[in-house]
Amino acid sequence: MVVSRFNPDLAGSTVTQTTTVRDVADLARLTIADSDVGKVTEEFNQTLALFEALTTVSTDSVEPMVNPCMESQPLRADSVATLVDREGLMQNAPASEQNYFLVPRVID
Amino acid sequence: MTTSFETVAGLRSKLAAGDVSSVELTRDAFKRISDLNPELNAVISSNEERAINAATRADEARREGHGSPLLGIPMLHKDIFCTQGLPTTCASKMLADFVAPYDATVVTRLAQAGMVTLGKCNMDEFAMGSSNETSHFGACKNPWDTSRVPGGSSGGSASAVAAGLAPLATGTDTGGSIRQPAALCGITGLKPTYGRVSRYGMIAFASSMDQAGPMARTAEDCALVLEAMAGADPLDSTCADQPVPYYASHLTDTIEGMRVGVPKEFFSSDLNADVAAAIQASLAELEHMGAKLVEVSLPSTSLGVSTYYIIAPAEASANLSRYDGVRYGYRCENPTDLQDLYLRSRSEGFGDEVKRRILVGAFTLSAASYDQYFMKAQQVRRLIAQEYEDVLSQVDVIAGPSAPNTAFVLNDTSKSITDMYMEDVFTIGANLAGLPAMSVPAGLVGGLPVGMQLIGRRFGEVDILKLAHQFQLRTTWHSLTPSMEDSH
Repeated sequence: MVVSRFNPDLAGSTVTQTTTVRDVADLARLTIADSDVGKVTEEFNQTLALFEALTTVSTDSVEPMVNPCMESQPLRADSVATLVDREGLMQNAPASEQNYFLVPRVID
Repeated sequence: MTTSFETVAGLRSKLAAGDVSSVELTRDAFKRISDLNPELNAVISSNEERAINAATRADEARREGHGSPLLGIPMLHKDIFCTQGLPTTCASKMLADFVAPYDATVVTRLAQAGMVTLGKCNMDEFAMGSSNETSHFGACKNPWDTSRVPGGSSGGSASAVAAGLAPLATGTDTGGSIRQPAALCGITGLKPTYGRVSRYGMIAFASSMDQAGPMARTAEDCALVLEAMAGADPLDSTCADQPVPYYASHLTDTIEGMRVGVPKEFFSSDLNADVAAAIQASLAELEHMGAKLVEVSLPSTSLGVSTYYIIAPAEASANLSRYDGVRYGYRCENPTDLQDLYLRSRSEGFGDEVKRRILVGAFTLSAASYDQYFMKAQQVRRLIAQEYEDVLSQVDVIAGPSAPNTAFVLNDTSKSITDMYMEDVFTIGANLAGLPAMSVPAGLVGGLPVGMQLIGRRFGEVDILKLAHQFQLRTTWHSLTPSMEDSH
């Protein structure tokens, strides 16, 4: 078993344990059905294998590139404006009451 | 009058001459959509009454003397652009009932130019895919062979334009999603420089690479429409404050002596031999036109796929965290508590490919994996961007294939997930580096279209558009149309 989330020093990482794929799914607020765990794990490992090519590249002192915007980003004036009114924003709410979003009770 | 395969520029002339009205064009387009779309599934929502009203207003404006170049011309939007009053689904169950309360800037600008929106195009769910098979509303078909994919993610837009449902459709391109389907469907598609077109109201996939662009029959049409789409937007701080050239007025500028770099890595074993031959013939045509071909090297081409498939899912995982079943989008039935609401709404609302990428993104962004994967990919991204910059300091334009193969068959079970990701091997570099790039019809292989890719310098759209336009003046590949009507 090799699980890189718990050991970042291991190159060529794979996720081979049911609990690990589930652990990643928990981070993403997704569930994986028992019947799908094997398939998801296999596909996940196929994708991680694709990334191994990068381990051969020397990137010492290379500045990470977050965004291709070379120029300064134009900012608009910091003034209040209404782009969409409250009713417009609420029209797609799955459940609402008095213009508030309704969710299951979180405090008993 | 048959106008199904007319260009934007051709329709503009016919409208100006009074040979046809916008209402007639719009009615004809809906007739064709009604005839062909049941088989193609390229258009997933439309509103004829609304379109006829817009066309009527355009005809009235023309009678009053208004003459915007795009006035009254029908078009389709990829269903990733927010459209007030029309569904905006991103081809996902998650947004199946979503109606945006505002228009995307691209939608606003094309409407202000007088274009008539017919409806919205199918796509891969949340733009994640290269075949348009991940759509919640079913796969879209390629009009050249309906047993084959149109490419993706803007597959519906490409299929619709190729089938003559509209002369123009918008697309978005994060790793090749305009260029690859344009190539597979035999149309012309342009991904502008990152920051050339506003992303406001365009549903986010990978924000550092997403860019909107036109998909049409010709480079001239792309130039006309890009002029209307492009330019600074106070609602998108990544949209560059750079003047927008009159692209169409530069199309006939000389290309004599233009240096066209041909990366040797683009002709690797990943490329189908027949596609390679078609591209080589098109490159020879560029040379006959007066361009100078120069062999160049982009040694990190193959690393682009690994880099992209770390960065894009990571950004997607963050962007798609907003779909939690609370404010908009799908909500599961009878949640027991808030955690259950999040988990089931997301698990039931997203399709398999989207969930796969969210999982990969959550993994590479997690604390223990961040440096090994996400940081590393961002460093390699800089190296790749630097390679492109170095090459583009020696040549004016880079040319090569848009996609390694022609359109593949639907439901191809022999293709693994990573095989599918390799479809993007030649297009991803321009997204990582933020460069403008387009696909131009460049031949047929086995009766299926092939696309030649042209990549320019940052904000160098004029260079690739004029090269593409003059190539299209000397070739007829862009004029070929599929023979779907034989069966109707």
